[in-house]
Amino acid sequence: MKQHIRELLEEALPLVDIDSDFLFSELDSLGVTTILMILSKEYDIVLEAEDATPKNLKTLDAIVAMVTHKIADRK
Amino acid sequence: MKTIEDFLCRNARLYADQPAIVTPCDTITYAELWQQVSAKARTMAALRGRAVVFRGSQTADFLVHYFAIHLAGAVAVPLEHDVPDSRLTELETELSHCMLPADVADVLYTTGTTGRSKGVMVSHRAILANSDNLVKALNFSHDLVFVICGPMNHIGCLSKVYPVVQCGATLYLLEGMKDLNAFYQALDYPCAKAATFLVPASIRMLLTFSADRLQTYAAKLDFIETGAAPIAQTDMRQLCRLLPHSRLYNTYASTETGIIATYNFNDSHCFEGCVGTAMPHARFTVDSDRRIRCQGDTLMSGYAGNEALTASVLTDGELLTADLGRVDAEGRLHLMGRSDDIINTGGLKVAPEEVEKAALAMGNIAECLCVAANHPVVGTVLRLLVVMRPGHELKARELTRHLRERLEAYKVPMLYEQVEAIRKTFNGKPDRKSYR
Repeated sequence: MKQHIRELLEEALPLVDIDSDFLFSELDSLGVTTILMILSKEYDIVLEAEDATPKNLKTLDAIVAMVTHKIADRK
Repeated sequence: MKTIEDFLCRNARLYADQPAIVTPCDTITYAELWQQVSAKARTMAALRGRAVVFRGSQTADFLVHYFAIHLAGAVAVPLEHDVPDSRLTELETELSHCMLPADVADVLYTTGTTGRSKGVMVSHRAILANSDNLVKALNFSHDLVFVICGPMNHIGCLSKVYPVVQCGATLYLLEGMKDLNAFYQALDYPCAKAATFLVPASIRMLLTFSADRLQTYAAKLDFIETGAAPIAQTDMRQLCRLLPHSRLYNTYASTETGIIATYNFNDSHCFEGCVGTAMPHARFTVDSDRRIRCQGDTLMSGYAGNEALTASVLTDGELLTADLGRVDAEGRLHLMGRSDDIINTGGLKVAPEEVEKAALAMGNIAECLCVAANHPVVGTVLRLLVVMRPGHELKARELTRHLRERLEAYKVPMLYEQVEAIRKTFNGKPDRKSYR
């Protein structure tokens, strides 16, 4: 899943270093929006403003953990 | 009162302990703000009459610096927070050779049709006229907390500082809208009334990801102002449903014209594209080519160091815009697009030629064309169509990094596509209209 999310985000946000340890600080509002939209659609999960926290978007691993958690909630 | 700093000085006396600027981690009262501004201005005495170029930021320090420059008799030139060093130095050099009129307070850079940024000179008189327009038309009041979450070097956000100071109200500064939770925390600030300015893309974000949460602030949100780009009527109607008692304004303004007109679309009509009637210190007409012409004290003084360009749009106190419009029977202005190729992305204007020129510097690109594309949430984004030289493949990541070194982030396209050719008009120019 991590590699798939990396590829999705790299394609959508070519300016952003997806492997950064400070990913959230590299994003602007367009980047955050794009991540929420792409992951919602790809994994059929509901992501809301509350999910777009600096903690959840700090690194790629944090994003993977958020998606995994959301998928588990859905089930 | 001749400058906005006069109001600041008055507020330090009348509302000494009232919070003037609040950020997520700090609060500055009017007395403290005036003390900091005065102290900083004293260190700037040597800058009187000169242009001071600096990077913008959504911080109290930015505003202290901005007001201090004015107080010292210098001219403030705030740029994008991420402007490349080379561009900053270039503008410093350019402006050091310009004779700026005595009343000029700011030079604000805006996108030109040829891809070259233009330095718009804004006078202290225009700042006060903009301020009073907003106070009267939007009903700013002393007990209001106004949340600013956009770039402070743009008129959309910078102009909201003025009515807040004029009324002795409170500014809440946020670093953009990427953390929507921080936006709601700002609305949680203890106060009777809150208001904000949001570009349509930010409104769409709020409606898409947090409509229910936004609705919980219906009683507290005194008003929301939008502008800088067209807002979709579906978003307008949804906002009206969620915030039935808030005033929801769509405002017509630009760096050159100042704040001209506004329309509270939370009425029974909710007209799309309507920006209402003229504010007290502004007037507008629409000419036979449908171009909007503005008059009044809010207009710019001209383009810094470019008399010819100034004369092409500003004559006898009337400014000819590139915006197209019509006036209805009630005297309300309705926007109908632009007469040039400028692309409006998230409320920021981009000249496609500037992006194309930067991309072509890469060497392995034979031709390119920057066009507008639709994004489901943020509205218009930039797409770069690229014709590569033989033997080369488009590498979007490499190209974006190349562009980022040369342009501000908002001018770097989000989407890239390798194409065989760019469509041309009969005289060999890129056929931009065919890509709209």
